[in-house]
Amino acid sequence: MRHFVRLGLMIGFVVAARSAIAACPTPPTCASLDNPIYLQVGDTQVNLMKALGRKLRDNTAKPITLVFLTSGSCANIDLMYHHNPATGITANMQYVPSIAEDATWQQSSATCACTPPANLFPDIGNSALFNSACTTEAPPATVNLTIGPRQAYVMAMPRGTNETAITFEEAYFVFGFGPTMLASMTAAIEPWTDEAQLWIRTNTKSTLLAWAANISVPAASWHGTKLDGSAMVVSALQTSTNPGAAIGILGVEVYDGLRATLTSLAFRAAHQYAAYYPDSTATSRDKKNVRDGHYTVWSPTVWMDNVTGGVPDKPDARYVIDLIAGHVVTPAPNFDANVVVAKVGLVPDCAMRVTRTFEGGPLSLYKPPTSCTCAYENAVDVSTCTTCTTTCTTGVCRDGYCEEF
Amino acid sequence: MRALIFATLALAFAACGGDDGAKKDAGVVMDAPPGGPDASCFTNPTTHEEIINACTTAQKIYKSSHPALLNSDGSLPPLP
Repeated sequence: MRHFVRLGLMIGFVVAARSAIAACPTPPTCASLDNPIYLQVGDTQVNLMKALGRKLRDNTAKPITLVFLTSGSCANIDLMYHHNPATGITANMQYVPSIAEDATWQQSSATCACTPPANLFPDIGNSALFNSACTTEAPPATVNLTIGPRQAYVMAMPRGTNETAITFEEAYFVFGFGPTMLASMTAAIEPWTDEAQLWIRTNTKSTLLAWAANISVPAASWHGTKLDGSAMVVSALQTSTNPGAAIGILGVEVYDGLRATLTSLAFRAAHQYAAYYPDSTATSRDKKNVRDGHYTVWSPTVWMDNVTGGVPDKPDARYVIDLIAGHVVTPAPNFDANVVVAKVGLVPDCAMRVTRTFEGGPLSLYKPPTSCTCAYENAVDVSTCTTCTTTCTTGVCRDGYCEEF
Repeated sequence: MRALIFATLALAFAACGGDDGAKKDAGVVMDAPPGGPDASCFTNPTTHEEIINACTTAQKIYKSSHPALLNSDGSLPPLP
């Protein structure tokens, strides 16, 4: 009987796999897709690209296909600012199917591939941190910058380890001196005592640069194995031969999708009394500590598009950026972009109450033009706000909640 | 008085780790000491240090960590 069940499961997997493959055609030309907008984004933004891409394929008033490629934030800035490399994008790009093309597609499903046109430069470039962390150069007049949702970064370990927190000082020594040198100075910091178990990113990646700015260790000075992609860090942690000592750096939205196998460490910043998770607890998803400043390792996502005389070269590219940034757009989409942003682990501007002006810089209080804290909390967790239909005793009735302002 | 209790606890933890002669830091995670850091959390924060130490209902993890290479005044030595 067990064999039959196993056989049935195997057949099920094969059928599912075949149907998943069948959903993506032989890579078409990207230009043949419906209203393509070309993006080059950090690999921490893949979940956003997939979730928003799916919604925009079926955005009745303005259907758009997000055609994207991932690369490091600094490389994306260089491509937008200088068209470097001059060949533009040559590798195959990704997109997600519309409902008509594959009704069963989910965010965890694979993307489809398409071949880019020759000499393609992106309509939108993304940096997952302040551009000034990559270059001190001001953006050229041909590129417009829009500040988007905030993204936190975490230090993660394989799930099952006992460690719950890391301090600014511990991180400084572990990644700035390295376990081998610390051991030679009889100054090991447990449990991070294995030089081969530090999994970090290359110097042009936002994940490393953001952490570098927050622990005062320049990117080039970090100890650890420098990996090109977030997925490689994830794999290294999940398959570690010494999981109790393994530690890696990830964008929080990457981590949020992998909580079953990884655990994030609370972080205690310099001059902070206690360590905090990005969320209010180890298991919640409310990013409360990012929003109010208790978790300090976060960056803005920056979205760049091409302009001439201040006017967008491609209005639909700006439409996409405005959706990501939480701006009002015309025509109104048939979905709530802030909910899409929230559900992939990013924090919309309207839910933030602190800000900063450079990577790792001091926090100051921030009041966005309108608040969406209640709606944000409802999207990611549970809102305790008063619900409303038209008016509130205190605050403003917006999207069914009495928002603070 | 509460601050005194916390200071005593902190000093006790700071003194740990030297028994076997090896300078090793295991970063002991502590429960919130009664009247510890939160006793001086900020209810109306304005500066960076006040914001990161503002009063909150979020889960806090207090960790007594004293890396051996910290300077005697608690500052960090330069990177090698």
